[in-house]
Amino acid sequence: MTQPIALLDGPFWPYIALILFAVLPTEIWRWLAVGLARGLDPDSPLLEWVRMVATALLAGIVAKLIVSPPGALAAAPLLVRVAGVATSAAVMALTRRRMMLAVASGEVVLIGGVWLFGT
Amino acid sequence: MSVSADWSWQRVALAGARDALTLPAWIVGFGLIGIGSLARDVGYPVDVAVLSTILVWAGPSQVLFFASIAAGAAWGAIAIAVGFASLRFLPMTMAILPLLRRPGQSVWQQMWLAHYVAVTAWTEGLRRLPGIPPHQRVVYFLGFANACMVVSSIGTFSGYYLLGALPTPFAAGLLCLTPIFFLVSLTAGLRHIADVVAMMLGLALAPLCERFIGGGFDLIVSGLIAGSIAFLIGRRRKAAA
Repeated sequence: MTQPIALLDGPFWPYIALILFAVLPTEIWRWLAVGLARGLDPDSPLLEWVRMVATALLAGIVAKLIVSPPGALAAAPLLVRVAGVATSAAVMALTRRRMMLAVASGEVVLIGGVWLFGT
Repeated sequence: MSVSADWSWQRVALAGARDALTLPAWIVGFGLIGIGSLARDVGYPVDVAVLSTILVWAGPSQVLFFASIAAGAAWGAIAIAVGFASLRFLPMTMAILPLLRRPGQSVWQQMWLAHYVAVTAWTEGLRRLPGIPPHQRVVYFLGFANACMVVSSIGTFSGYYLLGALPTPFAAGLLCLTPIFFLVSLTAGLRHIADVVAMMLGLALAPLCERFIGGGFDLIVSGLIAGSIAFLIGRRRKAAA
């Protein structure tokens, strides 16, 4: 496990570490965006492009989590992970976007798949 | 539900919270249960786990933070990894803030609103906010996002004490909620063919870039390429129509 920095060690270390190494590197982008978005027209082509990049980034995170899964998700074989996500997407497409049903059916496929084929 | 222009702010905030509690808040909440158990594994107190949900408010960043500590990574490397994983908030926040902007709004309020930007508030916000009268959007958004945050804090707290006891298939199911919910939220927000292209290319390019670029830059490169191609296709179609 990563050790605390000696100078700052103590009962407050976990809180300091959280602020320095998790909150700041995440929050900085949201704050930067506040500065950059000032005066931008909601319908401008620049924002259209920014929205497309954000959509692609989110989709990219989905793909990365499925291809290189964290923790217990690695117990599911790749095919089961892909089947779970694909089921949700298919239900969204076929049921005119019923989110609850889509999430539930993907989860059923995944949990059932791990139960049957998991390691 | 739809919001009427003459409603009081309390009623608008409640409508936002209620829309969150119909489904999105529960999914984020369940998705962040895993964070509690990760924090416990590295010996951090339960309030650090819950604070991470409230202050970081980004599942992938929190997973990276606690999992990297467990793996013994250097602090500098952890900060850089979290930073790269959170880069998406720059375009996401830039895209949603103009919908929430009001004349005379302070920078502090915008920073406060920006803090809530994460996948749920973003996809749902882009979809729902345009249909809400502009002067009620901030209150609606805060009602929606805070309901998500409260449920998620409870989820993280319970995960700290409960998750270790869960059988593998269910633990895997909880962790898979994040990608499934990301994808379902994205699909729910698709409006034009260009959105579909951005999503499909993003899905396809990210693993390819991970393979050939790596080093933390892979996601942002694939996002820029996929997003730009989608944007050009969207422009083309608009010009043709």
